[in-house]
Order: sequence, then structure tokens, then C-alpha cells
Amino acid sequence: MKNKLAIFLVLLGSIVVLPLAKAQVKHIEMRVEGMT
Amino acid sequence: MKQHLGRQSGVQNVEVSLIDGKVEITPKEDGQIDPAELLKATYDSGVTAAEMDITARGKISKEANGELALQLATNRSYVLADTELAKRLEPLAGTATSVTVRGQLYKKPPGAKRSKPPSSFKLVVLEVQKKE
Repeated sequence: MKNKLAIFLVLLGSIVVLPLAKAQVKHIEMRVEGMT
Repeated sequence: MKQHLGRQSGVQNVEVSLIDGKVEITPKEDGQIDPAELLKATYDSGVTAAEMDITARGKISKEANGELALQLATNRSYVLADTELAKRLEPLAGTATSVTVRGQLYKKPPGAKRSKPPSSFKLVVLEVQKKE
């Protein structure tokens, strides 16, 4: 039972934390040539 | 090109300035964005990327060969070019400190007219914006 609870908490933590952790590249700026 | 880039994974918004050829890309907050894919998409849309700057947050790590890298949480890392600014980040290697840096990921080789973007990049740190 305790194992199930621990697995549930780990999964819940990943769902909450992962989307925040993914936002790592905050901004991208390019200079391009040949645009018409 | 705007539509082409806008379809790429992790892209929220693309702003293109025809006057100076500047393209600003805002990544999605919860998405993954791959600058290498954006360079490829730019090439595929028929224009040439002259340079690409990124602002990214990650942790500093030391590769097996001694090179410093900016490690992103998405299992993506960029090796830092060996510059004075990058050397200043060395004490943070392996620590829990996150840094936000602005750097140049790609610059078209001088004289090259139109060439496929490389598959690996070195990040030239231009500015360390935040350490936390």
C-alpha cells in the first residue's frame, strides 16, 4: 500500500514539475538573409 | 517562413521583420523547442540563417573531455565555446545553481552563401543574465 502511495506521489510530482522544467530555452532570435 | 517556423514543435509565436531580416521566436512555456530544428526549418523554407542567438536557462556541467556545457532539463545540452565569459561559469559546474545566459548558437561562416546548418553547435556566451 505504501509503495503504491509512493509511486502515485512520484508520478504526481513529475506531472507538476516537468512542464515547468521544460521551459528552458526562453527566447530565440535569428537574423536571416534572402527574405523577399 | 513565418508559417513554416510556427509549425515547429514548441513554438508559440514568430515575429518576422522584413526590414532588417530579424526573426524573433517565443517558445511555448510548457513545450520543448529545438533550435537546431528551427535552423533546419529556416533553411527548408528557402532563406539563409545568418545567425541565431538564444536565451536559455540551465545548469553548468563539465563534459568528459573537460568542456563546459549548459545542461537543459530536457536532456539537451550545449557545449560552451571557450571564452572568458564561459570560463567564469566554470565554478558553477556540477552545482545546483541555474544560470540564464544569452549566447550565439550559430553564425553563418564568412563567405558562405547558402549552406546547410550544422548538426552540432557550440554556444558562445554573450551575457550571463541570472544565477539562481
